[in-house]
Amino acid sequence: MTGITTGFGAWNPIAWLLLFLGVVAGALFLRRFGNKQYKKNTGQTKVFLSGNEEPEASALHVRGAHLYWGFVDGLSAYYRRVRALHTGLLSDYVALFVGTLGVVLIVLVLSR
Amino acid sequence: MSQLPRSFKRALWVFHIATGSCNGCDIEIVAALTPRYDTERFGIMLTGTPRHADVLLVTGPVTRPMLPRLKRVYEQTPDPKAVVVVGGCGSTGGVFYESYNVVGPIDNVIPVDVYVPGCPPRPEAIIDGVVKAVAKLESAGVSK
Ligand code: SF4
Repeated sequence: MTGITTGFGAWNPIAWLLLFLGVVAGALFLRRFGNKQYKKNTGQTKVFLSGNEEPEASALHVRGAHLYWGFVDGLSAYYRRVRALHTGLLSDYVALFVGTLGVVLIVLVLSR
Repeated sequence: MSQLPRSFKRALWVFHIATGSCNGCDIEIVAALTPRYDTERFGIMLTGTPRHADVLLVTGPVTRPMLPRLKRVYEQTPDPKAVVVVGGCGSTGGVFYESYNVVGPIDNVIPVDVYVPGCPPRPEAIIDGVVKAVAKLESAGVSK
């Protein structure tokens, strides 16, 4: 038993394997037409950046933080204020905690 | 010794680098691509990267900031390659000859196969220069 027929179609790993081998054979066949005089480990294998030097990979890659750039930029007015609150002083955080607790208590008392 | 790929005869890809030209030569190169001259009918077309190029078209007298870039672009062009200098600036220094901020002419920096003189040269001359460069490579049968 090599395949399964489902309501959506058929799955046959052997057929996929044959297809994969066919694609690999096709790719290798096309590769034979490539330029064999290509020099490895020279400028010919480096990325072309308008003639500029290629920066270190770490400087070139998109960092995780960059994915949120639009989000952070859109909320920058909010972040500016919130960041200003983060002084790094424990007494400030305790004061904020006590203040917030006071507001929550007032709301709870008033809403009874 | 290396043979010229057959693609040289059928589809010649050209990369253009301006090393500080006044843009006169560059505009003539662009003119050579317009329907009036239509170099693409011969298979000659501009490519966006030297890594796909067979011929380098270089304009300008090589200003100091362009020196490492020109060297890098030359290095990145696969062999066999031909270098065609377009314009008086690149060929001799032209109006910028012995200027303090110029390190050219271009053959001071990279080996040149064909010089196309003129300030700027006409598109016909540029096309002729590219064809001559290929003919030169073909007759030599070697890579640069
Ligand atoms: S040769 Fe003449 S047209 Fe060409 S870049 Fe030099 S000054 Fe400009």
